[in-house]
Amino acid sequence: MSALQARDGLRRVTVAQGETQVSSERDVVLTTVLGSCVAACFYDPVAQIGGINHYLLADGTASDPASMQRYGVYAMEVLINAMLTMGAARSRLRARIFGGATMREGFRDIGGANIAFARTFLRNERIALVGEDVGGTRARRVEFRAAVGLARCRSVVDAAPPVIAVRKPPPPPAAVGDVEFF
Amino acid sequence: MAKTIMTVDDSPSMRMLLRVALTDLGYSVVEAEDGVHALEKLDGFQPDLLITDINMPRMDGFGLISEVRGQGRRSLPILVLTTESSDEKKQRARDAGATGWIVKPFHPEKLAAAIRRVLH
Repeated sequence: MSALQARDGLRRVTVAQGETQVSSERDVVLTTVLGSCVAACFYDPVAQIGGINHYLLADGTASDPASMQRYGVYAMEVLINAMLTMGAARSRLRARIFGGATMREGFRDIGGANIAFARTFLRNERIALVGEDVGGTRARRVEFRAAVGLARCRSVVDAAPPVIAVRKPPPPPAAVGDVEFF
Repeated sequence: MAKTIMTVDDSPSMRMLLRVALTDLGYSVVEAEDGVHALEKLDGFQPDLLITDINMPRMDGFGLISEVRGQGRRSLPILVLTTESSDEKKQRARDAGATGWIVKPFHPEKLAAAIRRVLH
């Protein structure tokens, strides 16, 4: 993650694959570039708190759907918990999802799997999906003004497909899955 | 007879993942969606193990553990399953009376080993 102060007075915070960022500051724009990955933008309009994650559930060789599900639920829960800690309410959350492009022809549809997970998760959790720009074959740049709930997504037409399209999911934090007895 | 595990998590997706993993291991599963709901289900009922999240509405995991221990249920093993990993929160859970702490996303084999350790 890095922050840049732009000429428009807004601070842009880059969110990398595997990261989560939340904000209630009106001059902050959370931004990320997506290939096959999906980013979920959550917003609580009452608390005026927003957050974004950026996940990739599988690479081209993954064959364990249960593992995908566990990691995906984890990625969403980290975002939701971060927002609740700042004062958001789960019942007020609205979601938009972006990304999930097919970046390589003939390659297993990783993007589609990432999109399907997000939709299923939101339906099961009863979180309203109020907008999406997903699928296709082009990379996207998402800019999310978290504190006001405004998300802008545009195609990255002049860029090579991001290497993240074929990268393995980032390793979860070192402690993940660890058991500690008291 | 299958041992019974109560899972407490406000996320239906997480409860579903746990239900699948635990039933595959041969356990019977009872679910609650937060601490208050868990206490309602625990009234007159004694599972063999309680697995609880920390961040939940109405009553969080710390409150649930304190209430359960306050009812005199000293022998009921309680495992915390959470995205949190801070020492401060682990200490709070320990002080409340938790038996152990597992960091999400859970690893099925590690979860199974932890359950075996507290149940057998």
